[in-house]
Amino acid sequence: MSGFFDIAGTPANLAALPIIGPIVVALFCLLAPRPALWRRILATLAFAGLLVHAICVVAHNLEHGPLILRVGGWLAPYGIVLYADTLAGVMLALSSFTALSCALFGFAETPVRDENPLRIPLLLFLLAGINLSFVTGDLFNLFVAFEVMLLASYGLMTLEVGAKESRQALPYLTLNLVGSSLFLAVAGFAYSLFGTLNFAEIAVRADALVGDYRLTLLAVLMLLVFGLKAGLFPLYQWLPGSYSMMPSPMAAFYAGMLTKVGVYVLIRIFGTVMPAELTGIHSLIAWTAGLTMVIGVLGAVGQGRVQTILSYHIVSQIGFMALAIGLHSPFAFTAAIFYITHHIVVKAALFLVGGSVTRLNGTDDLSRTGGLWRAAPWLGIGFVLQAMSLAGLPPLSGFWGKFMIIQEGFTQGQWVLVTLSLVASILTLMSMLKIWLGAFWKPAPEDRPVVTTARTRAMSAVIVGMAAVSLCIGFGAEKFVRIAKHAATETLDRAGYVERVRGSNDTLYPNKTPGAAKENPKEITQ
Amino acid sequence: MTNQLEAAVLIGVLFGSGIYLCLSRRMLRMLFGFLLLSNAANLSLIAISGDPSGRRSAVVGANSPAGVAAVDPVPQALILTAIVIGFAVAAYLTVLVYRLYVDRGTANVTTLFDDKHKGGASAQAEKEGEA
Repeated sequence: MSGFFDIAGTPANLAALPIIGPIVVALFCLLAPRPALWRRILATLAFAGLLVHAICVVAHNLEHGPLILRVGGWLAPYGIVLYADTLAGVMLALSSFTALSCALFGFAETPVRDENPLRIPLLLFLLAGINLSFVTGDLFNLFVAFEVMLLASYGLMTLEVGAKESRQALPYLTLNLVGSSLFLAVAGFAYSLFGTLNFAEIAVRADALVGDYRLTLLAVLMLLVFGLKAGLFPLYQWLPGSYSMMPSPMAAFYAGMLTKVGVYVLIRIFGTVMPAELTGIHSLIAWTAGLTMVIGVLGAVGQGRVQTILSYHIVSQIGFMALAIGLHSPFAFTAAIFYITHHIVVKAALFLVGGSVTRLNGTDDLSRTGGLWRAAPWLGIGFVLQAMSLAGLPPLSGFWGKFMIIQEGFTQGQWVLVTLSLVASILTLMSMLKIWLGAFWKPAPEDRPVVTTARTRAMSAVIVGMAAVSLCIGFGAEKFVRIAKHAATETLDRAGYVERVRGSNDTLYPNKTPGAAKENPKEITQ
Repeated sequence: MTNQLEAAVLIGVLFGSGIYLCLSRRMLRMLFGFLLLSNAANLSLIAISGDPSGRRSAVVGANSPAGVAAVDPVPQALILTAIVIGFAVAAYLTVLVYRLYVDRGTANVTTLFDDKHKGGASAQAEKEGEA
């Protein structure tokens, strides 16, 4: 695998590919001549290429360690660092896989001439922002990544929406605008506290501040900012309405990736950047997560539309991931990373099932759907596999993730939180049964018979493909858990992270003084 | 730090009024609220570099006095980026508010989310299903 990276001379340069690649392809797509088929071919190749690249990044990590790119050759605390470790590689693979599946589903759903010419370029810009937030090594670039991602997501969200639903964009936009301003202020606060924005340097200087109330305040503010992006308990209200208004392939991509960016950042910040001594914050995360699980799943019970039910389940599942982060041990982080891997594939596929239901029944309101098991059995098989996986039935992928989280909960004696997560799982199963009975098992409404076409069969094929990937994660759980464990160990190895970001400076640039990287924390009391 | 009290008060007032305006029912006020919020965040960034009096600029020129501490240039770099991003988002928000006004004929959030005169949420979902 290392041969792949030797082509480019300095292998570290390839850490920038997931950001530059989508932007370049997006610009080509914007300039592409009339036959939109080119746009589709180009985008498919780009997503597939990024997927292969991300898998190579993971393989490279398992063999040699992370790819670290110091942009422009500047030393670590002063320049910009791109840091692609195992966790980032896994997330990159998931983002390109989801983008590929959702784009293919969109191609199957919409004829070439009807496709909005801005959809694919915006999706690529969105992917660039998401990927930058995975590989960035400093707080301010994380802010920039979030803004690139959010601007593209605002555009994509309102691009094809009708006059009736466009109002749902307003809560999403307003909350994210407030969140962004807060993030900017928090980045400033971090800079005034540490005198740096580089993750590795913050990690070093935060250790000196353990017990200081300012560090606790900063951690709470960060939890607020990233909890908003992830959709944690009091801050999830924007999510269900805004996700259910989009065309289904785009909604599936948002549902799969966008909130998980928030979860990824929580893992990075509370695993690598912030000291492990902040146990108060960790239990705050765990308890917020417990509430998120139950309230999300209860929100889903009362809903009657497939997309809305699934949107509330995103909130609930974010709770599981955040609970694992809050438990804060190597095993819990392994569980969190494995759960994210499982969840992104399953959730995106379920949203695509929702899109197929809307297409076949003309609506996704469960009181007026039905007959799909007879008309589209493959779609039904895809749905059953993914829904059972989401609820956590063995041996599907969701079971292993939940099993590990609950096991860690027992080990740490968190009985209440474990009970909450089991209740949430049972209620998830109920919601999935509701969709199954409403859309698949019940006979079709007599006034609207279900008609399958080549398009709907192609859409089902994409869903079955994703179900196959999800099955692989379930049956090959051992291998995936090993990768997740490697990623978790790396994430929690704060000293190693600092050493890798800093230390290789001396070997790369022997002429520079190694002491330059070690500057005292900026005094703010003066 | 004490001699930056006026900056701290200004930032606090801007954040407070920004959030107050964001909570308003009128979309135009929300737009202005966001503008205030982003400016408050930018101000807090620039205030990090400390009181500039008695310090030279970060760029070294021919007549910059030796032995005088420079102003920290990093917050200035951050604020430039943040201003550009804030401008782009403000432009998008303006267009969205205008589009909502065109789509729904109102610039008031209460009317925007009031389904009564449109026949309730489920009837709306039905119309959407038929569309």
